[in-house]
Amino acid sequence: MQNILEVKDLKVSFHTYAGEVQAVRGVSFDLKEGEVLAIVGESGCGKSVTSQTIMRLIPSPPSVIKGGSILFGENKVDLLKLSSKEMESIRGSEIGMVFQDPMTSLNPTMTIGKQITEGLVKHQGLSKEKAQKQALELLTMVGIPRPQTRIKQYPHEFSGGMRQRVMIAIALACRPKLLIADEPTTALDVTIQAQILDLLKDLQEQTGSSIIMITHNLGVVAEIAQRVAVMYAGKIVEQGTVDDIFYRSQHPYTKGLLHSVLRLDDEEKGELVPIEGMPPDLLAPPEGCAFAARCPHALNICLKEDPQPQIVQGEHQAACWLLDERAQKTAVR
Amino acid sequence: MGRFILRRFIYMVITFWMIVTVTFVLMHNLPGDPFANSEKLTTQQRALLEKQYGLDQPLSVQYKNYLINVLQGDLGVSFAYPTTKVTDVIKRSFPASAELGIESIVFSVVIGLLLGITAALKHNKSWDYTAMFIAIVGISIPSFVLGPILQYFIGVKWGILPAALWDGPANRVLPALTLSFMTIALTARMMRTSMLDVIHSDYIKTARSKGLSQTSVIIKHTLRNAILPVITVLGPIAVNVITGTLVVEQIFAVPGLGKYFVQAVYSNDYTLIMGLTIFYSLLLMIVIFLTDIAYGFIDPRIRLAKGRK
Repeated sequence: MQNILEVKDLKVSFHTYAGEVQAVRGVSFDLKEGEVLAIVGESGCGKSVTSQTIMRLIPSPPSVIKGGSILFGENKVDLLKLSSKEMESIRGSEIGMVFQDPMTSLNPTMTIGKQITEGLVKHQGLSKEKAQKQALELLTMVGIPRPQTRIKQYPHEFSGGMRQRVMIAIALACRPKLLIADEPTTALDVTIQAQILDLLKDLQEQTGSSIIMITHNLGVVAEIAQRVAVMYAGKIVEQGTVDDIFYRSQHPYTKGLLHSVLRLDDEEKGELVPIEGMPPDLLAPPEGCAFAARCPHALNICLKEDPQPQIVQGEHQAACWLLDERAQKTAVR
Repeated sequence: MGRFILRRFIYMVITFWMIVTVTFVLMHNLPGDPFANSEKLTTQQRALLEKQYGLDQPLSVQYKNYLINVLQGDLGVSFAYPTTKVTDVIKRSFPASAELGIESIVFSVVIGLLLGITAALKHNKSWDYTAMFIAIVGISIPSFVLGPILQYFIGVKWGILPAALWDGPANRVLPALTLSFMTIALTARMMRTSMLDVIHSDYIKTARSKGLSQTSVIIKHTLRNAILPVITVLGPIAVNVITGTLVVEQIFAVPGLGKYFVQAVYSNDYTLIMGLTIFYSLLLMIVIFLTDIAYGFIDPRIRLAKGRK
């Protein structure tokens, strides 16, 4: 399978009055055609910034892309080098995006139909009637009943779950090769979350597009993703297949995340184990490993030098000094 | 939409009645006397005058008579100008005020919106600072300062435009400009804030994620949402400006309605006070009514929420 997206050493900072916040500090990952990659991490770890940088939707200023490249498509065009006009032709047609909060992500003074057809008219040059027809199909596809009536309605006449379906219809309108879903279920209640995830999974199977799923919910990851990248303090600390991450995780942060999730099949009915401490301040990121201050297994070297990603096996990588052969002898695990 | 309009109309009638009543009560509690040089009147003369104007009757009867007259469009005869009806005062002076007001409103809305939009689009750049500087100057310089400055330089010193009076189109420019300044400033500031709010909202991100160009994001998605709060404040401002402002009309010798508002209260001219208040509030209510309808057209949430119930 070919890579549809290669993000290499991406660095994004924000200029604030307090100084430069290094939100993304060298993120690299690949995405294959038809693959679902989940980017997981807690709030403020840089996962949304990464996804919005791929779309070049991040407001600049205050943000600055400090370095790296984002190669997209068969020709591996660097999205960061495109002019804003060229980027417009990729946004919506080749890459679609679903946002977190469906309550605020739709224009309140424009009908749903208009909001769906806009992209079609722009990218595929369809006439209004044809675009309208296609919008009806899209609404049916995302599971909105009575599309004929619904298409003329405004966002406030839809429930949260239905609005998120509309958002998905908008994102998929031009059949993009890549769909970025930025916490698409976070703002929804649990039963609706499951429906939206099922819908995304179905649509992914139907259309074969690749998906980057940004989430902090490990349940969502297990449900939909094939591969997972765990982000912490602006870096990917571990990535691999879902099984690698869930069953053979190497990085203490990943382990901590997994421990903090409620499990139904747990033998002992113990309490959840939180990860103690707070993520580092990205205004002045630590010299060594960003997780060292919270890590139960931290070594001396962890405080001094940042670990580089090491291949554990196949595609499974983790950036942790414990994986260094010199550290293996201490055998903490 | 029809029911929405009907309901609004009923509210309007109730409001109107309340305004008439409150003004009537307040006015009759004003200290002083409606008759000029009243201390020189003999008791007999006084009784005659009171009888002529119906002031000898109990307040409740006066109130009833007045309501009936108002409903028939009769606002009575002025006390201070005994030969003129209040409606005639309005008929004679309102056109000049209205014309001046409308010119200044059109002018200030166009300029104000442009300034506000530019400032928002060029947020934190020199355009923004320039526009907001103009706005602050506009808000802080009172018209009685700006008016004479314009008169002195443009009217007298350079002689480009007539400094005062109300003869031809050229006479309109300076007073309209003076009158606009404040509104330009207000509109520009409101539009800028509102635009910035909308630009940073999630749905604008959605619009951009569809690959729309910057221009269509602004025209199709931003403006419509951003103009709503501006419309709300613009209605009452418009009425204020249209009914004439004492200061600007006095400075530029415009034969408008503005001065009567003040004179009527000075001279306790009951009928004129009542008439002008009623006229002003009626205009205000009509404009707010129209604003509401316009609002409903622009924002579907309002239209449908009200229509459904």
